Amino acid sequence: MNLERFGMDTVTLAGSLETKLAAMRQAGFSQVMLSSADLVAHPGGEQAAIAAVRSSGLRVTGLQVLRDFEGLAGPLHAWKVDVAKAMLALCRAVGAPLLLACSSTSAHASGDPAQLVADLRKLATLAVPLNIRIAYEALSWGRHVSDFAQACELVEQADRANLGVALDSFHLLAAGTPLEALDGIDPQKLFFVQLSDFLWQETRTRDDRIETARHYRVFPGEGAHWERLAELVRRVDAMGYGGDWSFEVFNDDYRSLPPAMVAERARRAAARVASLVPGRSLPLRRRSRCAARA
Amino acid sequence: MTVAERLPEPSNPLGLDGVEFVEYATSRPQAFGALLEQLGFSPVARHRSREVTLYRQGTMNLIVNAHEARTATPRLAAIALRVRDAGYAHRRSLELGAWDMPTRAAEMELVIPGIRGVGDSLVYFVDRYRDFSIYDVDFVRLAGADPQPPALAGLHYFGLVQAILPERTADWVDFYRTLFGFAVLPEGTSFGVLPDGTLLESPCRRFYLQLVEPPPAVADDVRWDEALVRLALGAPDVPKAIAALRARGIVFVDRGRVQPSERGALTQAYLGGVSFELVASDLAS
Repeated sequence: MNLERFGMDTVTLAGSLETKLAAMRQAGFSQVMLSSADLVAHPGGEQAAIAAVRSSGLRVTGLQVLRDFEGLAGPLHAWKVDVAKAMLALCRAVGAPLLLACSSTSAHASGDPAQLVADLRKLATLAVPLNIRIAYEALSWGRHVSDFAQACELVEQADRANLGVALDSFHLLAAGTPLEALDGIDPQKLFFVQLSDFLWQETRTRDDRIETARHYRVFPGEGAHWERLAELVRRVDAMGYGGDWSFEVFNDDYRSLPPAMVAERARRAAARVASLVPGRSLPLRRRSRCAARA
Repeated sequence: MTVAERLPEPSNPLGLDGVEFVEYATSRPQAFGALLEQLGFSPVARHRSREVTLYRQGTMNLIVNAHEARTATPRLAAIALRVRDAGYAHRRSLELGAWDMPTRAAEMELVIPGIRGVGDSLVYFVDRYRDFSIYDVDFVRLAGADPQPPALAGLHYFGLVQAILPERTADWVDFYRTLFGFAVLPEGTSFGVLPDGTLLESPCRRFYLQLVEPPPAVADDVRWDEALVRLALGAPDVPKAIAALRARGIVFVDRGRVQPSERGALTQAYLGGVSFELVASDLAS
């Protein structure tokens, strides 16, 4: 596997956006998964953040994250549509070809599959004119959609070309989801894969899982589930996945350490993961969908 | 207790009924107007307060908008679809994920609801086209002009060509199918002399869209943005239409694979890049 397909998430590193981008570049990464906060909380404003991203030379993998979009009604739904539109506009502005949308955790959200499908279709339609793809991710503590298979089912029902699923290894590992859940997935509908591990064997409760997810994730090879993680990577690769991989690592310690050091650990993890599927001839990455030139 | 029935949507949910007008934006309205007159259009009215002129021939209304136009080369800025109920069409589109258009009607002007289309273009919904015309409100008829100039050689609106980025066909098919009920025509169906891309038919079967991804060999220095790029005019007898237009000074491309024929023809690019296509069509009859 080729390192070009790996990126880091800005959420992993401490420091300014510019510091993070420089550390990633220095470690040899060629792409970055941005958070909307990178842009809107930049001290120089959104335009300065966009300029920093563009001048970094890093390709933008995508932007995270749209939360709690689906299943709302009335004014809540209308408000969330406005939020989604603003995030899509941010994607467009920074050249992010993909928006990550996480399954809703809202107590106000309906679980009616027909409404969830209709809402995902609406989000996909909003994204078409802007040339953005939507990657829908099941949070393992999602209110109604909490595992990968459910997210796949909704995406399949919604049946929109620019709507696919995101796979975050943390949720499968932490929830103990059998890796057979990946069988039968159309690789064309897998839009994005995020890899991370964590340091203990089990998360015992939902709250424990949330706490672990937000503070104690580590890079592949640093945690307690390397064998399963490796098997997940092999399965995803074997199904013919041709998209990007990123490290979705939230870790308080890593945010207390020099970014260059953490980025170097990420690079070693990327090499470790890439070595799992040696010799495979990988399909060329999709052409950048945000390119204004062809 | 009531049980929600899952019934299929009608195939023409908006009651689409063809094209009310096509709008171009240009900062050179006089030069473009002269070209339109060569193509058989006549100016019939002008906007009450803006630099906007209505041209017409036969069933075709064409608006030239110079108000705040940014470029000299005429750009396809909007298409107005005839629908059963414009308010309903607008609400339904927004509900399904369309972006609302920026409001721009001034005081005492008719508000035509619309949504954003590809690139900077808009899609309007018009339901007043039978007994009452939208032009009666915002436009002033030009003195001495025939308000209903006949069509040259039976010309009528046939369709629009939309350039899209690589691997974007499926996205845009979803967009037009979801919002308007367009359907993809079977592979191998083609009209005119430029058969590339994917053809979509309106649910009223009176209008076509052609989605064209860049050809694989397109040079790196060719700029290829997503936009409406060309208007196609239908003609019941293409050679007759070509002859009539040539007599008025219109030049057709006759090199390489694009040769004027009974199927269609392509005009040269005028004013820095605007061209028109003729397509054999009986849609007007």
